[in-house]
Amino acid sequence: MEQGREEEEEELEEDDGGPERALEKSPFQLTAEDVYDISSVVGRDLLQLQLSAGPPLPAALARLQFRIVRVLEMLEALVSESSLAEEQLRLERDSLRRELEELRAAGARGGTGQLSLGPDKMVIDLADPNRPRFTLQELRDVLQERNQLKAQLLVVQEELQCYKSGIISQRRDQTEELEKEATGSSSGTSRDSEEKTIIKRLFSFKHGKGASSRT
Amino acid sequence: MHLVPPVSRDRIISQFPKWYTPEACLQFKEHFHAQVRTACQWSTGTLGLKISKVVVVGDLYVGKTSLINRFCKDNFDRDYKATIGVDFEIERFEIIGVPYNLQIWDTAGQEKFKCIASAYYRGAEVIITVFDLADIRTLDHTKQWLEDALKENEPDSSFVFLVGTKKDLVSDAVCERTELDAIRFANEMQAEYWSVSAKTGENVKQFFSRVAALAFEQSVIKELENSAGHMAQIGTGNLIKLEKNVMEIPEGNTQISLGCC
Repeated sequence: MEQGREEEEEELEEDDGGPERALEKSPFQLTAEDVYDISSVVGRDLLQLQLSAGPPLPAALARLQFRIVRVLEMLEALVSESSLAEEQLRLERDSLRRELEELRAAGARGGTGQLSLGPDKMVIDLADPNRPRFTLQELRDVLQERNQLKAQLLVVQEELQCYKSGIISQRRDQTEELEKEATGSSSGTSRDSEEKTIIKRLFSFKHGKGASSRT
Repeated sequence: MHLVPPVSRDRIISQFPKWYTPEACLQFKEHFHAQVRTACQWSTGTLGLKISKVVVVGDLYVGKTSLINRFCKDNFDRDYKATIGVDFEIERFEIIGVPYNLQIWDTAGQEKFKCIASAYYRGAEVIITVFDLADIRTLDHTKQWLEDALKENEPDSSFVFLVGTKKDLVSDAVCERTELDAIRFANEMQAEYWSVSAKTGENVKQFFSRVAALAFEQSVIKELENSAGHMAQIGTGNLIKLEKNVMEIPEGNTQISLGCC
């Protein structure tokens, strides 16, 4: 911001005042325009010197005039080169400043997020449909439930195999006794449903069991 | 007790199955223990259905699931599918006339599932540590796997097996060379060694028969000792319950009784 104000002042100086002002400037702030102003001032002084000396033009004055022009040309070259270098540096500075601002802004955004994070923390992208979102306990519960269901499935498969191969009907009495024992007090209805199939009774029992295991 | 179909013929064991290599074998017996044979003869039908718990551990992608699937389902899936947490199979045997079940727990090899799978190590009568014959690094890791599994069990309460898988992928020369290392490992781990291939099925049935026979005999001996001394094992929590049809699943301290439904 301060730099900006300085630049404005420079411009004001350039606009204000006559060509003599250029001679009062700090040599480090001279521009090519200033050098031209100085040239015109020096040229005017030389012209006056010529007029007061009258013709013919003294050789010493002519030589001095030539040298002064040469010195002014050298000064012009130096000033324009340094102003080019300065302009380049200014552009570079501005781009670096912008870059820094952006980094600071990003740092501030990231910084607020990181402040709440400890060393072993992780950031989760909420927009990622495949992001981690279930807890270990939930996975344990699901596995547990799956294992129970698989165990029940194995039992049912075996029973079904018995049913298909006719082993169950041969040993019906035993089965019924066991079914009663298994269903117990939870369902009294299966006791008097002699005509229900084994499978049906199996399922009614499964309902009872499922309900009790959930409580 | 639910009704079960007869045990398939290839799950009937009447002769004690033989070891794989005498260099890494802990039981050189040819027959079942006389005491066990006698007990099984007169207690048929009165003995409760026996179940032994087997846990299978090892690095990911060594073929634990494939090994179990070859034995229990007699299939082989070329595609790799990581096991989520833990899975199980129940395999029914009839050993010297007595029905016997192996409850085979297949655990995930991926590190991230270790905290879940390790909860299932408890009460294992058999620990099977698996490595890939074609990847020697997986053999190095078996000791750690075994150590983790043993931590959850009473000292000297489990049979330990070391199994090299994917035998079909290595030449006989490579297999022999790797087996030398594996046998050394097995001796240090006090494990019995087996080389198998789930893809071709080589040695898979023989291996599990051996596991079943050893675990069965051990479980009968234990029961005989307990009933002789009237020692109550209730409440120790480290032994799988041998009462009929009760399967203990260690997660969350819940017990589900399976057989009766």
